[in-house]
Amino acid sequence: MSLDTNDLIRLEVNYRGIFQKTLAKHISTDVVYVAHSEGKTAFSNGRYSDDPQRNGVPCANFAYISKSLSEEDLEAEASAAMDIKEAELVIVLDDTMVKGLEPWGHYGIRPINEKVISGGTILFVSSRTPAELSKLFERKSFSYRIATIRGEASFSGLWYFRDDMTDVRVLGAIAKLNPGIASIESVLSYVKSKYKSDQKVEAARTAFEEVTVAEVTPEEGIVWPYPKPVLPGWKEFEEGTVVRAVKRGFSLGPRGQNRNTDFKRGTNRTQRPVVRFDICTKCTLCWASCPDEAFDPTKEGYYDVNYEYCTGCGRCADVCPVDDCIVMVNEMNLTSNESFYNQYLKNPSSYVEEIESIKGKERTIPEHITGKGNIVKRVEKPKAFKEVR
Amino acid sequence: MFEMEELMTGTDAVAHAVRLVDVDVFAAYPIRPYTGVMDRLARFVANGQLDAEYIIADGEHSQFEIGKHASSVGARAFVGSSGTGWLYAMEAIGVTATDRLPVVALVGNRALDDPGAFGVEHNDALLVRDLGWLIAWASTAQEALDNTLIAYRVGEDPRVRMPVAIAMDGGYLTHSEHLVKVPSKEAVKKFLPPYSLGDRVLHPDNPISIAPQANEDWVMEIRRQNYEAAKRSRGVIIDAYREYESVLGIHYDNPFIEELDVEDADVVLIGMGSASVVARSVVREMRNEGKRVGYLKLRWYRPFPSEEIRKSLKNVRSVGILDRNFAMGAPDNQAITSHDIKSSLYESTNHPIVTDFIAGLGGREISRKEIRKMFNLMESGRTEKVYWIGVRE
Ligand code: SF4
Ligand code: SF4
Repeated sequence: MSLDTNDLIRLEVNYRGIFQKTLAKHISTDVVYVAHSEGKTAFSNGRYSDDPQRNGVPCANFAYISKSLSEEDLEAEASAAMDIKEAELVIVLDDTMVKGLEPWGHYGIRPINEKVISGGTILFVSSRTPAELSKLFERKSFSYRIATIRGEASFSGLWYFRDDMTDVRVLGAIAKLNPGIASIESVLSYVKSKYKSDQKVEAARTAFEEVTVAEVTPEEGIVWPYPKPVLPGWKEFEEGTVVRAVKRGFSLGPRGQNRNTDFKRGTNRTQRPVVRFDICTKCTLCWASCPDEAFDPTKEGYYDVNYEYCTGCGRCADVCPVDDCIVMVNEMNLTSNESFYNQYLKNPSSYVEEIESIKGKERTIPEHITGKGNIVKRVEKPKAFKEVR
Repeated sequence: MFEMEELMTGTDAVAHAVRLVDVDVFAAYPIRPYTGVMDRLARFVANGQLDAEYIIADGEHSQFEIGKHASSVGARAFVGSSGTGWLYAMEAIGVTATDRLPVVALVGNRALDDPGAFGVEHNDALLVRDLGWLIAWASTAQEALDNTLIAYRVGEDPRVRMPVAIAMDGGYLTHSEHLVKVPSKEAVKKFLPPYSLGDRVLHPDNPISIAPQANEDWVMEIRRQNYEAAKRSRGVIIDAYREYESVLGIHYDNPFIEELDVEDADVVLIGMGSASVVARSVVREMRNEGKRVGYLKLRWYRPFPSEEIRKSLKNVRSVGILDRNFAMGAPDNQAITSHDIKSSLYESTNHPIVTDFIAGLGGREISRKEIRKMFNLMESGRTEKVYWIGVRE
């Protein structure tokens, strides 16, 4: 007579360190309290190997809910592992994670919908439509659901929680998507008693009503290009914790530099730098300052970002002395990791035209250019193509 | 009697205990999972819930020195670390015991990592098992809180005056959330008398010097004193649990061990820490299937509960040890807990077969399936003295 775990509901909350750590914790803890209020057993934990105190790093919290298991049996079932293999409901707090994530170097790039089971649901906080999102993640052999609540990735903070209601909105959506976790009535009365704020109650209710749901069929999504990790046994490891270095090699031009192919880190990015090669003065500052050595120097003396390795930290945009030359752009505005420099070489003026249309109107102008600290300005008429050489 | 019952992580639970005993000095240097406690304590200080000197040290060695010195001037002190941080503090850790200063330290168990491993492994805490530290081992967040409160009471008792380590599994216990009952300050005040070193306190009004040069003329006598104090701690622990129950109503059947279906069991698994939750669940499941299995959890590792273990295992045929630690080249190549259990059983009338299961190192999961496998190996007659469970072959 083994333990009956049929009614176990597993929830995965994917978020990015550092700014969503407190938010994710709110959600997983609140789920436990709400489930308790319905007389269920529930348990939550965070993936211990994560680095949520580091910017952009993908992290996860989990919650488990059961109607029949005792607290101790639920904990024995749920807490023995530090990661989960499957989930009935996957929540994604930053939609750029739809392009995949690297939980650990040796795991490669894994799809965000990896854990969703047949008939399960993946929920994004996003201003994109379900169809726009589902064409970016892995194709699965079964049907399940994708849902969205409108919003940009929350930056609610780590030490100080800047409340943007994302926590209670997600709770409201959970009640709609999997009432087995909790009913909307329970969610609303929990939110009311915890926050004593009608606005928060309203936010939860509105999310419950407005969550968009669509079916994901086995035809949707892409064939995931990255292999599943296979970890070697103890006899295959090199003794003394030795890991062989990447083969040395360097030539000028895009993808000219040898880098670690097992650990790319580009998925940490919520925005990426876009370079206007035409106005670049070849000062070398971006290349020299990039903490991840993501720039490939080109024959012509420019610096091309290798987007597979760029973490989107924004450092290069901060140091570039030429106004509007490197601009950070929302990652969701772009799909490919191909070299921009090749595109530029082919046709410089049409490249500039194209990236200006992608960049959007909002630009952060760094302090050394404004002299008054970083400011965000709206650019109605971007700088025209102009080769400096 | 209780101020709240809330979902909190194991490190939060310890931080609440530290707040409730109203520590005077605590020192910190960040390392996961210990960092969780320092975060929470920093918040208590910032919010005015705890009036204490919070000293951020330049490393674990200084951190433990700070704790030791604070304790010697009569300040109630708290420190802690994990894994290699704990090792870095080892010089201070050794001397705190020799100086008989009742510092309480959290050791959030973590692998002794070179390759950046944060996962639980018990070697860090076990390294101090012979130095004159008492070691309490928590397997739930509530126990972590209870153990910390009890640790101050036991360590500071004039019959003991020894430092106490609170061991707790990194990740599984420190970073998952559990419902914890937090006692009120008044109740804790009733349970825990104010800290006093009596005439051993280092103070201008009480001119003394602590730990002067002790050469071959003194060391053996000092060790003998510590040895007696460790022996006396048993009785003090029993008293403390009795008092804890009478003030707070929290009952533990036995301070040192926790038995689940051991009495009529044929095979028994012994372990400590968070894997106990999984083991207990499997035992209940196998009992339902009619299997005569049991689980024995160690709650104190120093003093080691030899008497309790002998009594508990007097009719058992086969014993398995869940060792979340390693001991390279040790007797029979078994790991640390096996040796302590076997040596306790040598004085027993019953000599069960002892099988060592090395599992869960570096935070590797110990699943229900694997615990079952251990019971099955014990039941069907083992062919090896040691099994590595969960290693990738
Ligand atoms: S944003 Fe710029 S500096 Fe940062 S990793 Fe990418 S290329 Fe390098
Ligand atoms: S910092 Fe700007 S101007 Fe200098 S090389 Fe890089 S892109 Fe060109």
